[in-house]
Amino acid sequence: MSSSDVPPPENDVNPTHRGVGWDLLGSEIMVLFRRRRTWAMLVALALIPILLAVAVRLSSSTLDPGEGPPFLDRVSQNGLFVGFTAMVVAIPLFLPLTIGVVAGDTIAGEAGLGTLRYLLVAPAGRVRLLLVKYTGAALFCLVASLTLTVSGALIGAALFPVGPVTLLSGDTVSVTESLLRSLLVAAYVTVSLLGLSMIGLFISTLTDVPVGAMAATIVVSVVAQILDIIPQLSWLHPWLFSHYWLGFADLLRQPLDLGSFGQNAVVQVCYAAVFGSLAYSRFVTKDILS
Amino acid sequence: MSHISLRWLPALVVPAVVVCAVVAVPLQAGAAVDLPDKTPQQVLLLVNDSTASAFAGTVAQSSDLGLPSVDLSAGMSNVAPGQASSGEGSAGALSTVLELLSGSHEFRVYVGGETQSRVQVKDRMAERDVIHNGSDVWLYDSNSNAATHLTLPADLAATAEAKFAELQSQLPADLSTPAQLAERFLGELDPSTAVSVGTDARVAGRSVYQLVLTPKVTDTLVASVSIAVDSETGLPLQVTVLAQGQSAPAFQVGFTAIDFAAPNAALFNFVPPAGATVNEQVMPDLSDDTAGDHAADHSAAAGEAPVVTGTGWSAIIEVPATAVPAKLGDNPLIDQLTTAVDGGRALTTSLLTVFLASDGRVFAGAVPLAQLQTAAE
Repeated sequence: MSSSDVPPPENDVNPTHRGVGWDLLGSEIMVLFRRRRTWAMLVALALIPILLAVAVRLSSSTLDPGEGPPFLDRVSQNGLFVGFTAMVVAIPLFLPLTIGVVAGDTIAGEAGLGTLRYLLVAPAGRVRLLLVKYTGAALFCLVASLTLTVSGALIGAALFPVGPVTLLSGDTVSVTESLLRSLLVAAYVTVSLLGLSMIGLFISTLTDVPVGAMAATIVVSVVAQILDIIPQLSWLHPWLFSHYWLGFADLLRQPLDLGSFGQNAVVQVCYAAVFGSLAYSRFVTKDILS
Repeated sequence: MSHISLRWLPALVVPAVVVCAVVAVPLQAGAAVDLPDKTPQQVLLLVNDSTASAFAGTVAQSSDLGLPSVDLSAGMSNVAPGQASSGEGSAGALSTVLELLSGSHEFRVYVGGETQSRVQVKDRMAERDVIHNGSDVWLYDSNSNAATHLTLPADLAATAEAKFAELQSQLPADLSTPAQLAERFLGELDPSTAVSVGTDARVAGRSVYQLVLTPKVTDTLVASVSIAVDSETGLPLQVTVLAQGQSAPAFQVGFTAIDFAAPNAALFNFVPPAGATVNEQVMPDLSDDTAGDHAADHSAAAGEAPVVTGTGWSAIIEVPATAVPAKLGDNPLIDQLTTAVDGGRALTTSLLTVFLASDGRVFAGAVPLAQLQTAAE
């Protein structure tokens, strides 16, 4: 049955029946994207490529190849590289920070405001609420990475010449294909953040203090990245959710290499499954007092 | 109470399932393979008759040589891209070789026949490419955005073929067939090496025969060399070198994925990207008119030629002091790599030992350090 089918009311004896989930999801998304905080975070993300591009534009010295963050030396020749540089710069801290705020706030924020029990009074069910909250966080991941990509492309095109893009392999692709690859990079980054979103959701079910859940989620992402650079733990590295975060370089090779996209997706799905089940068990057994 | 604990069940079951899947999937990939038995000679013939001329694959290389961790930029810092003088260039080449030998790397390899190939070294946020297409060879480094173009002499292949034919004509008549050649090869190996076919395995999803070469002597660092040969195409897919007293492979290079379809021909037509620095280099001509000059060079350097003592696995190469570049000692890499030992400095790895005697001679071999020191006396 397609989940958009609205069941007749007389059949709706089960309080956790499908049907109202879409309303709940719609209102969750509305609340999330109407928040001033969400807008502030998206604007901050959009400022990253703008700052990079303006700095390169105003600076009189040209960078030697390989100097600075990846691709920065190419920016003055081709504006389309701004988005890639911004993505590399934003992935270790800025993106996890915003995801931590959104995912950490999901359940704990409602509990902190005292609105959680009203949400559960409606015949929505706790599982449905978890799914809706997670979908909202995942949508924010997508919007955040698209914000970086789009603002990078726009500011690059505004300040620098735009032309065929040289890939890491030295082959040149057309502007259209490079834009498609930018979108693919945004998809890759979105997928990369799904595991962290679920960790944030789980932490959010543990507490009624949203700030605590946000901070804990960000700490988890920093700890994972620190573990990733300790060579003695190399056996663990492929299973860290942050290990493939910078692997989108593979999307900039010729021919297109989707290998790390797949590996990244598998790792993220594993994290989403493990922390999703933990969040489920915690949330359905939790005493909702606020 | 019981339905509360029931609700904690997913929190136990799902992680357990994920862990099982993580453990089981690689095990399944390494599931036992049983191929029809072959003798080492038959496996060599299989390699010789290899039909794979075009393929694309991913190659992983890993080494656990016990090399000291070095700051590779120390040897490279004075090499500005594109303007390396020959002395600095050799230091750069040295650090590149060391960099490729240590740690692990991933390559993508495309072969489109005898005259077309492309190798991509996948670096973090960068890539190095080598593209061979007919008489053109391009090297491209995305980090420095520099391309180097080599033009191979048009008659290189012809010259090489002629030389090969010449060599073949000098061979004893009983080596005219590959089977005899394989037999002869095994015969040559016999005094020093035991050749066997190991347990069948799976490499890059393909069933392989494992040709295992084990040294018969004990005074070498090499425990065994195994070559995995694809049972269908005869293409060697993996080489593993084990060192004495170390269970992890000291050096391993092999395909992790391979596809025997011909790669897209456009991959081999490399055009340097706009904005890249392009260096043109000409290969030294190998044809006969310059051979005289080379011969003259060699005769001048005859006294400096490296001397090989010992045979087989325990052979030691000695480079006389006059043949060692004077600059070698100044390279900061050498100081980092070697440790002071009795009578000079030494680099010891799990497979290879290099001994820099204090009088300037250099000894190297796949033997313990003590043997190099004995040879230096």
